[in-house]
Amino acid sequence: MYFTAAKGSVHRLILNLQSRGFTVVGPSLSEGVVRLKELSGAGDLASGTVDIQGPGSYVIGGESPFVFASVNGPDSPKRYLHPAEVEMSKLVDEGAGLELVSAFHSDRKYAFFGIRPCDLRGVLVMDRTMLMPGFEDPVYSTQREDSIFIVVNCTRAGENCFCASMGTGPAAESGYDIAITELPEKLLFDMPERDASLFQGIDLSVATKEELREAEGMVRRAREHMGRRISEKDPARKLHSALDSQVWGKSADRCLACGNCTMVCPTCFCNTMIDRTDLRDGSVSRVRVWDSCLSKDFVYSAGGNPRQTRTARYRQFVMHKFAYWPDEFGVYGCVGCGRCITWCPVGIDITDTLNAVLKDSQDAARKVEASPVA
Amino acid sequence: MPRQALHAFMRGTVRDVRTETPDTFTLLLDLKGRTPADFMPGQFNMLYVFGVGEVPISVASFRGEKLLMHTVRSVGTVTSLLTRLGVGESIGVRGPFGRGWPVAEAEGKQLLVIAGGLGLPPLRPVIEEAIAKPDRIAGVKVLYGARTPADLIYTHEYSRWQAADGCDLLLTVDRGNKDWSGNVGVVTTLFPMAGIDPPRAIAFICGPELMLKFSILELMKMGIPAERIFISLERNMSCASGTCGHCQLGPFFICRDGPVFSYPKVKDFFPREGV
Repeated sequence: MYFTAAKGSVHRLILNLQSRGFTVVGPSLSEGVVRLKELSGAGDLASGTVDIQGPGSYVIGGESPFVFASVNGPDSPKRYLHPAEVEMSKLVDEGAGLELVSAFHSDRKYAFFGIRPCDLRGVLVMDRTMLMPGFEDPVYSTQREDSIFIVVNCTRAGENCFCASMGTGPAAESGYDIAITELPEKLLFDMPERDASLFQGIDLSVATKEELREAEGMVRRAREHMGRRISEKDPARKLHSALDSQVWGKSADRCLACGNCTMVCPTCFCNTMIDRTDLRDGSVSRVRVWDSCLSKDFVYSAGGNPRQTRTARYRQFVMHKFAYWPDEFGVYGCVGCGRCITWCPVGIDITDTLNAVLKDSQDAARKVEASPVA
Repeated sequence: MPRQALHAFMRGTVRDVRTETPDTFTLLLDLKGRTPADFMPGQFNMLYVFGVGEVPISVASFRGEKLLMHTVRSVGTVTSLLTRLGVGESIGVRGPFGRGWPVAEAEGKQLLVIAGGLGLPPLRPVIEEAIAKPDRIAGVKVLYGARTPADLIYTHEYSRWQAADGCDLLLTVDRGNKDWSGNVGVVTTLFPMAGIDPPRAIAFICGPELMLKFSILELMKMGIPAERIFISLERNMSCASGTCGHCQLGPFFICRDGPVFSYPKVKDFFPREGV
């Protein structure tokens, strides 16, 4: 069902979510960047804040009458569902062997408020790995279980966005609890399962055909003005045969292997465990931190380092998203949010890399076809 | 709390330590309430040194034994501490993880157990199981290579394996010494002298990547189909449950989808530079 309400209703909606026990997390301006932070009310939202993004660049500039004016910042729900650092367990060894003092536990349930459709898809993608039956991650599954998603469809595409190529936006298709499209004068709510208690105290009207058409038009314009695109509709298969392409090196030569792309990626889940000893009581915290396939030691083991070169590591990052994920789960690991382009310090553009590799493999295939077989 | 089960440690108390080589030791662990029968051949455990970290180590014991067996070479921080453990000391154990050897598929076939260096421990339970049921497996050929005679492990088991019904053990070293009268050369140099019967053979291989690569090539040259070649792969591991990414090989996570793979399953990604 579709309803409309005044823009000011977001405040009441946030309060209603809080009274239902949710920690409400949404876009909030902090030190010149729109982050996903805990909201106490609509006043914390980055209302009217416009982000201007480019390869290796992010600035806040201009003002907008829209409440949800920014596209996306460095944070995705990953920051909460799969935190950058989390204590998995605490152990002691009193001489008689290991004893568990505590294991990860959380009573928090999150309402992700005002996230973009690409980020919702990012969660659904990460679910495949972190909630695989028999291998459920204890932290992720605990946080994810009670989470709800209030998505805002995009009516403005960011300069680095390519969700239209990945089929993940600019409007959310499923998996949300509420989807909002912000019209010039009001908010349009799409609630697959209407939960009246969330809208207590909010004056709702049934949406008119004109309003629905207006929303569709705004989303369509965002799709048409998408900053970037992938040249192939389904690149996975072609990429497998392009594994040895020389073109990977062109992007990788500029790569600093800093791992920023993997940190901001909403689907990158790689991590490593470290032991942190407390000198006061001798206890050990087993802390899980994000790790990155771009880092040199990531695959190092007694048998050697299978990915010695930066090219091999950069190729792994891209192949995982665009070839291995489809192999494993039938969905792409990339959601087209463009963060890896924005936050790359040297502005490497993953769509450029892909398009160049795909073109190179096409050229190579053509050459093979053209050359007569002896 | 079943969600935590993958990450919970069992206490493994060291009951015996055997010196295999100057840097390689076999730990025999008492795992309260669990026996080696709970661990399938080819699976691995994460061994944890309190406050230091974990390493993935293959299960070397087989179901008939009382103590869990792990053979560890001192290479890094955790393994060097593991090899210095004394009787009575304890470590954390998580497991078992991964998919092991398809032992049932070897029934009625000639089983080639091909190991290089520390590739022998995960194959030891396979050898023991095969020996235990000679009527169901049409001969076991254990082809084992190490760098030097001093690097051979499980030497005290050789005479028993050799004497077992239908079991042949062939050894080779890369570099011999004055006391070594056996074969010198890489493990593939044993193939022509092993009495391999390609139409009936099935191969389980574990060892360094280069050794795997050439063993596969030679076996296929001999006419053994790729589907009857199984390899155990190794990569860095942290979580052992497919969620940390370290052991990824193409679309596979070695800890969860392996470590044992049929060769056709991984042939697009192994052996392949930089994948």
